[in-house]
Order: sequence, then structure tokens, then C-alpha cells
Amino acid sequence: MDWQQPESALLIVGHGSTVNPDSSAPSLAQAEAIREHGVFREVACCFWKEEPSLRDALLFFREPEIREVYVVPNFISEGYFTETVIPRELELEGRLTTRPGGQVWKYCEPAGNHPAVTELLLRRAREIAPGVAAAETTLLIVGHGTALNENSAVAAKREVEKISALDTYASVQNAYMEEAPLISDWARLTTTPNVVVVPFFISDGLHSYQDIPVLLGIESETTAAASQREVFRRNPHRHHGRDLYYASAIGTEPKFAEILVEQAAAFDTAALDLSPIA
Amino acid sequence: MLPRAERALSDWLASGARGIGQLLIVKTGGFSLRHREDEARADLQVFRSPNDATELARLDDAENYRPLKTAPNLRHGWVLELADLPALRLALDLFYPGRLPALAAWEANQLATTPLRATLDRQTGMYRSAAKISDGEIDELVGRFCRSRGGEPGCLRTILWARDMTGARPSLRLPLDKFIAPVDQTERGEHVMPLLCQEACNLLVAEARKVVKDSSNRAERTGFEGSC
Repeated sequence: MDWQQPESALLIVGHGSTVNPDSSAPSLAQAEAIREHGVFREVACCFWKEEPSLRDALLFFREPEIREVYVVPNFISEGYFTETVIPRELELEGRLTTRPGGQVWKYCEPAGNHPAVTELLLRRAREIAPGVAAAETTLLIVGHGTALNENSAVAAKREVEKISALDTYASVQNAYMEEAPLISDWARLTTTPNVVVVPFFISDGLHSYQDIPVLLGIESETTAAASQREVFRRNPHRHHGRDLYYASAIGTEPKFAEILVEQAAAFDTAALDLSPIA
Repeated sequence: MLPRAERALSDWLASGARGIGQLLIVKTGGFSLRHREDEARADLQVFRSPNDATELARLDDAENYRPLKTAPNLRHGWVLELADLPALRLALDLFYPGRLPALAAWEANQLATTPLRATLDRQTGMYRSAAKISDGEIDELVGRFCRSRGGEPGCLRTILWARDMTGARPSLRLPLDKFIAPVDQTERGEHVMPLLCQEACNLLVAEARKVVKDSSNRAERTGFEGSC
């Protein structure tokens, strides 16, 4: 992390959860790592469903030395949160917002848009199914999907296109929790003897650790949170005559701290769209 | 010059404040933090990194998740030894996220508060319906959810926001002390830094939505039974 911003702060915005203790863990861990590298004068997190809230974050970074605040959504895709909730709660007027007093808040792209995410997904897929022939394997990238915002599934589709182009797996497909093709239909969607499922989520929170395993049929009911169970699930799971492998989410990877910093750095080098957020 | 939150923290400690929320702060070579109810205990597990506060604040004594860090259910049995004021500030930011900046803003007379109705009216998506909550339901909900002791889960913050633009208190079921900043909400009556609440949290917004949903389900059932 050569990029140094002694007159700037980094605000990592996560979803958080009122029911799952692991949801905010990746953001907090990455904030700690970035703080230790001393890239920014200050590093803080805020969450939609936990404390500090996005509204609380309006009170952060009041030192006159902090001229700029980079806001990086620790979200996997553009969507309802990045386009509606975060700008509204943080009172962002667009990509650039100047606060009274002249401090500038720079609204960066979400972590999931970073090009290195593709490699993280592939690494997860390889780690959980070592020695499994990719040519006899379908890779399913599972996103949330929501009727609230049509962009929510775009990032997951983009990753599938990028991985498909590598021509490694027999098939690479998208599936979603809340829109078709549904992950609960995985057996119908695939034909190969091996199916590797990688959740395209930041944390092993409510959706990736508790909901999707039920939708896959590898858990009959919602389990305790990841941090409250002694062992991670054992792969493979034998279902519908196939070997099913299920991975953990990518947001806790140490590489993600670099991704968050690079999304901030990218703001200053990207050609800016200064139009208001829709 | 010290950052504003550290300055506020330092000033409060110099004024003799014993802690914040359920935390006792003791000046040592650096600082030590523990549960205020653990003051006399000698069998505490020792932690030394401010980042340990994340784990210490995450679960209660029964290992249940604490989604609201200002709920009066901080776990017991530990002591956190911290080297200096920046480490203390970081730990407090993890135990009680967002509260030191709110306190510093309040002291600088710059803490804007948002009426509950404005918070609810701003919601979109699944929380949009929360705005339909009645004043009577707000009175009951805030009285139950935000109370300092015996609430569900309860909260040790001092409420600074009004119900709406009229400036009305959101709940008449809470003691007046709940709305007065420097009061020790643990009812131990000590001089502590207050946990200030400048705007309703997302947990309360989610509860408001639930109240509206339950109320409309009840109305539908009554209507259905009435039509038979």
C-alpha cells in the first residue's frame, strides 16, 4: 500500500446485521488492517443495521486536517444500497460532496467491482474442491438478487462472464436467492457430477452461512452463525447423485483490505461522472 | 492538537468521569477498562489490544449476539489494558460505536438531532411502511424498546430526538431523566460520560415497521371476522 493519504480518511460502509454476529466482521477486520498500514489519517466503519450507523458517520472526521473522506461501500455490487440507501443516509449529492467547512466526501465504487474479485472467487472455488476436475464441474456464483434494484445482479453476471471466458469449468452459471435462476433449483440447473457453489457475498453472515445452505439442501434448517459453530461445513455434500461443494464468502480474505484501499485510490484516477446519484 | 473525540474524552476524564455506559475507565500508566460491576473483581481475564474490544462487545454473558452495543447487557469477566489515550479512544469506538463523536459534537454545540418522524419518513424499500406508525404506538414502542432498564433489549443512550417537528417527547412512559444528557442511565448515579442518541437507530426503525405490520395484520383479521 504505497498510496499515502495523511489528509484523508477512509469510511468503509457495510451492511451489518441485527441477528448475525459475523456480518460486520470483514469490514471491522479490514479497517483494522488498513489502520495498521497507516494509509489514511483515520479509518472508520459504519453500517446499515449495526452501530455506528451511517447517520453516526456524519459526525466523524471533524479534524480540520482531514480534507477528504473516501467512502467505500463494502458491498459486492452496485444496487439498492449503493444507489439509494448510502447516498440518502450519508447525505451524498453525487460522487463528490463538499461539506460545510470544505471537507470533500468522495463516493467510490463498491468493493465487489474491483477486478481482483474474480481471482478471489476462483481461489475459493479451487480451495474447497482440491483435485476435483474442473472439466466435470459446474461453478455456481450465487448472488442475492432483488426486485428492488435491477443492478443488484449485474456484478454476479459480470463475474460469471469473466470466469466463463477462461474456459476452465464445464459450466459457469449465476444463481440467486431472490430471483431466477434460483439457487434452490441448483440440481435442475446443472448436469455435471461436481457442483461448486461460491457465494458472491462479503461476509459469512445470515445469507451465505445460514440461508443459502438451507436453499441448497445441505442443512435442513437454519444453523447458528459461523462464529458460533465449532467447525466449518465439511465438503463435499452428496445430493441428487452429485458432489456439492460450498465455499465461504470472500470478504474476509486479507486481499480485501487492499481492494478497499484501491477502490479509494481509483476514485482519483477514474474519469468522474459528476452527475447526481439517481 | 488532539483529535476532537480524544479531546472530549480527555476533558471528561479530567473532570472525574468514572466511565461511559457500563464501562469503568481507570487511569493506570495508560488506561484500563472493565465492566463497572466488575470493579472489585480480581479474577478478570486480561486483554491488551484496543481491537479486542470488538470481540468483548459482540456477545453478552449468555453468548447471545448484541446487535445494539448500547444495550445494558455488556459481558462481564474481562479487563482491557490500554497503553494511551488513542488506544482508549479506539476501544471505546468499538464498545460504543459512534458515541464519542456524538459527545464531542454535543460539547461543541454542533450535534443536530433528527425527529423520529423525519427518520421514518426518509425510509425506502421494506422500511417505508414504518412511517405509518401512530403517535400512540410510538409512545408504547419507545417506552418498551429504548428504556434504560428492563427493556427489550433496552438501551443506555440518552434520547435527544423528539417525536416530530412539534418537539414532543417520543414517549411519556420513560422517566424525564432518559432525555437529560449527563444522567447516568445505569441508575448508579455516578459521574459518567453520556451515550447520546441524536437520531433513532435502525433497530428502532425495524421495530416500528414490525408494529405497523402487526397492527395491519390485526386489522385485516378483525375485518375478515367481522365480514363473516
